[in-house]
This record gives sequence, structure tokens and C-alpha cells, in this order.
Amino acid sequence: MTNRFLVGLSVVGAVFAQSAATYDSSRQVKLTGVVTRVEWANPHAFFFVNVKDSAGTVTNWALEFGNPLDLEKDGWTRNSLHIGDAVSVEGVPAREPGSRAFAKSVTLAKTGKKLFVAAPKKPATAALKEPAPRWPDGRVRLGPPPGKKGYWTTPSANALVDNTAGKIVMSDEGLLRNLSDADRVAPFQPWAKAVYEYRQRTLLKDDPLTRCLPPGGPRQFQMPNGFQFIEQRELGRILVLLGGADRNWRVIYTDGRPQGQADEVVRGYYGNSVGKWEKDTLVVDVIGFNEHFWFANGGLPHTEALHLTERFTRPDLGTLKYEVTVDDPRTYTRPWTGGWNIQWVPNEEIQEYFCEENVEATLSKNVSGKESYK
Amino acid sequence: MKRALHLTCVAICLCIVAPGFAQQGHPLTGTWSGDWGATSTKRNQITFVMNWDGKNVTGLINPGPDSIPIASVFVDPATWTVRIEANGKEHITAEGKLEDLGSYHRTIKGSWTQGTTKGDFRITRD
Repeated sequence: MTNRFLVGLSVVGAVFAQSAATYDSSRQVKLTGVVTRVEWANPHAFFFVNVKDSAGTVTNWALEFGNPLDLEKDGWTRNSLHIGDAVSVEGVPAREPGSRAFAKSVTLAKTGKKLFVAAPKKPATAALKEPAPRWPDGRVRLGPPPGKKGYWTTPSANALVDNTAGKIVMSDEGLLRNLSDADRVAPFQPWAKAVYEYRQRTLLKDDPLTRCLPPGGPRQFQMPNGFQFIEQRELGRILVLLGGADRNWRVIYTDGRPQGQADEVVRGYYGNSVGKWEKDTLVVDVIGFNEHFWFANGGLPHTEALHLTERFTRPDLGTLKYEVTVDDPRTYTRPWTGGWNIQWVPNEEIQEYFCEENVEATLSKNVSGKESYK
Repeated sequence: MKRALHLTCVAICLCIVAPGFAQQGHPLTGTWSGDWGATSTKRNQITFVMNWDGKNVTGLINPGPDSIPIASVFVDPATWTVRIEANGKEHITAEGKLEDLGSYHRTIKGSWTQGTTKGDFRITRD
């Protein structure tokens, strides 16, 4: 299984995570033709090119080229490419037969200009080392300083792994480079390891997220487009607004209420969250999950018995440490802990993003409908 | 006309809702329905309800007044072969293979023995 895939295309600093289940990174395709359509849609933008072969037959290729929000951050706009432009494209073809590929690079024939040329925006890291903002009573704020804007994004790890595992190489989607590392990812029960390995072997093709189902559990903090805390102290709760997946929110109650009984809480994607502060760390107890989602990238299984203990610590303005202990005795042989750091993006807000938009846009065009709705 | 419209709406809602309840936990947990029989023409409808408690799969066959408690379930995760034993009026042994593991509508099919009658069965997760 070594090097069976591993894709996260880096194009001048912009990371466009392409679906390993959809595209075959072991192959390349070079195309030259004329742009016939541009679909600037979430979560994947597409453009379409008429390509003429040596026999004169014209085929319309559908070329995916990233997420509009990421593209805009890296200098693209919806007007970077126009209908009628002659282009050369290098890309990764789809696994299934057909005229579809993921575009790695696009060159305008008229000028020779290579698109994807803008340098990505980077936050001023020096400023982000400032102390964490605090409320008047001294408690750390999880949101922006008063009068400012900002949100959290770019986790330092894209998969959840047991802290005792050592280094494990994975793709941005949580796919193992070596499937034999599965044993170290988490202390699986035998059935759970077999399910995890199945999901890995099938390149995560059954991921509920591809059907726009919510990313509950730690996965909500692994999503592109980030998240934001809204601390409603007068109401005794913190809202977590999620910019990725399906633009959901989650409520963490901090009013001192006890956690509910596991057998009685209504089961959901985000569970029942009760938080309290331990010095500068927000500790959140979460139960009441359903089994309709994957709680981390890479296909880690869980059952309704899943119990999470999350710890959020903000050591400075620019850093959020996220640590989670997973306790699901029906799936894992012991509780285990993993986590990552998340970066602050100052002076910006989460942008509008709806997972369904792409499905709506592409179902009628038979581009990615099969991928999204089996 | 109104009834047809109502049925159409129900059908659309079912189509939309069904994928939302995909179960991603233990592959056997849930309600399964299908049939068994000694021949392809003489079939008996069956419903299984199974649940993983962390150590064992427990459950019922044909829930209701005539339900049959499942005595034991053996699963081999290496091959996803399943052996289910139950004691109703007659002893039941169902041995099969779990297929389409990642699919919501995954199936188990294989051989069925009930008393002295031998046949085959196929159940699909609802």
C-alpha cells in the first residue's frame, strides 16, 4: 500500500485537497482547448473546456480547480478565466471513465500567463504572538479582541491520532500512506479496525461528508473555512459557528448545568456539550452522538456510546490548542487522546459557504452528482 | 389527484430522508429485512433487529408477539462472515457474509437452517 496515493495538490502555496476517491493521482492528463463554461460554486469550482483530438472530435472536459473561498484567498476571482479563453491544462484524471479531471495548473494560451500565481495571504505572525485577549474579569476570550474581527482555521493536523502513536504519514483527507499504520492510529476493537481499514482501502468513498452531512466531533475543527466562537456570557453558553461543511452551529452550555444522562439525551451530530473553565482552559464534556457521521477525517468509526472531553486553550492571540479524549468502549479498547493547534485569522470573518451549492450546481450537469449522491 | 400528489410528496420525502440516516457505527447494528426459504419460490419474510453492546451483538428475529431472541452472533471482521443462532420453535442457524460494508443498504446473504429444513437467506439493512 506504500504510496498508493497521497494527494494534496500544492499550487504556489495554495493547497487544493482533491478527493482521492474521485481522482487518480497516479495518472496525469494534458489538455488544450477553449473554455466553454465556468461554475464558481461550492465546494468545488469547475470550468469546462472543449478539447479537439487528432481526429477532430471535440470532447467537453469538466475540470475541477478548488474551492472558491480558497481560490479567492490565493488571488483568483470569478473573472480570472473567461469563456472563450484558449488554455492549456495539466491535471489529474478521474478514476471513472469520462472527461473529468482535477486541474493542477492552467496556462492562458494568448499570454502564456500561468494562473494560480498569486501568493497566498499570510497573517502577520508577530502580531499573533501577542497575549490572548481577555474579558474584564480576566478570563480568556475565545473570539476576537473587543472591536476586532477574526476566526480560527488551518489545523496543524488533518487527522485525529492517538498521542502515543508517534509519527504517522497521512494525506490531507486522513488517508494513511501505509495501511499497516492503522494499528497505531487508535486502540481499535477488532471490528472497528476492520471498518477503518475498509474505509481507507476504499479511499473514503462512503464518507457522509460528501453527502453534506455534518462533521460532528473533532472533525468540525478540521474543516476548511474555519470556525468562530461567540461567547454569550449573559446566557451561559458559547456558540461555535462552523464555516465549513454545511455552515452549522453548535452550543456549549457554560451555565453550570449538569451533563444529561447518556440514555436520555437526544442524539445528534454535535452531541450535548457542557463546558466549564479550568484556569485558562475551557473543558467541554460531550455525549449524545448519533452514528450517522465520521467524527474525524480518515474514517474513524464510533458508536452512540461516544463520549468526548475537549480542552480548548489559547496561549496567545494567534493559537488555539485543541485536545480531545475519545472514550467509546464499544469501539476502542481504552480512552485515548489526540489534538492539534489551530491558527487565528485576524481582521476577517468566516465567509459564506454552503456544501449543497455544488450539489445543486453539478447534479443538473452530471459532473459530480454521482460522487455526492450514491 | 390530491392523493397522488400526497403519495408523490411522501415518496420524495422518503428518498431525501433515507440517506440521512445512514448508520456508520458497528456494521450489524440496526434493523434488517429480507427472506429465507428452501426454494426460490417458497420464501418466508424475516426481520432482524441487532445491536452491538461493546462485547456482543444481541437482538431479535421478527420483533413482536412471536419474536425469537437471538442466542448468539459471531462475526469475523477479517472476512465479515456472520453466524447467527436463535432458538424459536426450532433451532435456527444463519451463516452468511456481510456485503457492501460501506453502504447504508448493506446485505447479509448465505445459508439458513431451521430445524431440519435447509435453505438460503438474504437480509438488507433498512
